Amino acid sequence: MPSFRALPAFFLSILLTGFLQLAGAQDFVAVPALSSHVIDQAQMLEEQQRRALDQVLVDYETRTGSQIVVLLISSTAPEAIEQYGIRVADAWKLGRKGIDDGVILIVAKDNPKALRRLRIEAGRGVQGSLTDAKSKRILEDVIAPHFRQNDYYGGLAAGVSALTSLLDEEHLPAAEKAKQASAQEDDGWIELIAVVVFLAVFFGVILFVRRRPRNNLNNNDWGHTAGVIIGSILSDAVQNRGSRSGGFSSGGFGGGSGSSSGGGFSGGGGGFDGGGASGDW
Amino acid sequence: MKKWFAWLAIAASVLTLSSCGYNDFQAKDEATKAAWGEVVNQYQRRADLIPNLVNTVKGYAAHEKDTLEAVTKARAAATSFQITPEVLTNPEAFNKFQQVQGQLSSALSRLMAVSENYPQLKADTSFRDLQSQLEGTENRITVARQRYITSVQEYNVLARSFPTNITAKIFSYPVKPSFTVDNEKAISTAPAVNFGK
Repeated sequence: MPSFRALPAFFLSILLTGFLQLAGAQDFVAVPALSSHVIDQAQMLEEQQRRALDQVLVDYETRTGSQIVVLLISSTAPEAIEQYGIRVADAWKLGRKGIDDGVILIVAKDNPKALRRLRIEAGRGVQGSLTDAKSKRILEDVIAPHFRQNDYYGGLAAGVSALTSLLDEEHLPAAEKAKQASAQEDDGWIELIAVVVFLAVFFGVILFVRRRPRNNLNNNDWGHTAGVIIGSILSDAVQNRGSRSGGFSSGGFGGGSGSSSGGGFSGGGGGFDGGGASGDW
Repeated sequence: MKKWFAWLAIAASVLTLSSCGYNDFQAKDEATKAAWGEVVNQYQRRADLIPNLVNTVKGYAAHEKDTLEAVTKARAAATSFQITPEVLTNPEAFNKFQQVQGQLSSALSRLMAVSENYPQLKADTSFRDLQSQLEGTENRITVARQRYITSVQEYNVLARSFPTNITAKIFSYPVKPSFTVDNEKAISTAPAVNFGK
């Protein structure tokens, strides 16, 4: 029996290692951790400029709930910036869950021309106002002119303000962080109570059935086991609850159902479909 | 002793039941259908862009008749292809779908290549907008196809590996077709739409 059960897992593990090797062989650029709203891995900004831009985006998220992140890297090779962009989008899941109002502005400074150097990755929920055409115009008419004169900060600042003013046209639901967090906590309690009730009924019935005439020497044994099982499930539930609300209080600006990840912040679970535009300068 | 054995047997049978994977099939089957819906949706979005695009190009490059007609024809063929749920389980219909969309892709990329020769057309604002919309949609198609490929892969692993393949046989969950490498090439040439900037 056990060997049978292990078979699918065995095949799967073979498959998985195959994929891992494949992925390793291609050597794609890793998706950076979501450490702040402006991630500068290409040293395009001075720390002060990065902070200023970061503050604008943090404020914007606090005010509206929409998450915009600027990612500056040196290269996405061998992938085109679109392929890299969707990988980043899938990994970060910016934007609130169900509203999908995340935007990523990617600059790959040293990309060859064929792979493109600018990209706006627009979440599903903002494409009503931030259309592909508008994204393209932001890249070409707002950002590129600054970049051509090596004014990276000016280009990014202008691009970000163009993005925020477009997103403001979208009539997205207002930021409701406090409300959301407490709703989540309520959900947690309800879950916990449901688990307790279910277990009580379940084991109550079993115990009741087993009490009936039967010359059983160690009835207590079973009661003990049940206690252990209930206990472990309960503690699991409590832990889950704890970590979830913990994610909210420490994450600071995680939307939706994010959990905190080591000092940075987290996406709210927004979805991307590859919409947006790419460009160059 | 005997009592423990009975419990063990029950536990084992529960485990085997969960390993037959019936519920997994439900989940993954739905996931592939959702991913497929997205693919169709994005292809439709592309088809919707084309009439405007053709009209705009016509305004500046009317004598590129052949190219324009090829696009219109390919679009008509692609939109007249009936997408029924059976497409997903019928490899032949699936290939046909790929083929008509691939033809439209190549007709479109020819049109975009031709329009390179008309500076006035390239400067036209509505053409520029259409062009970026088309480019965005081609990228959406790529993403949707990739997601479909991933979801079908997960499903097919389940449908092929033991013991879940038995469940697949009993409840008739056949292996599903996916986009092939051949066609992947046709698609990856399509970003000729992406000319220069």
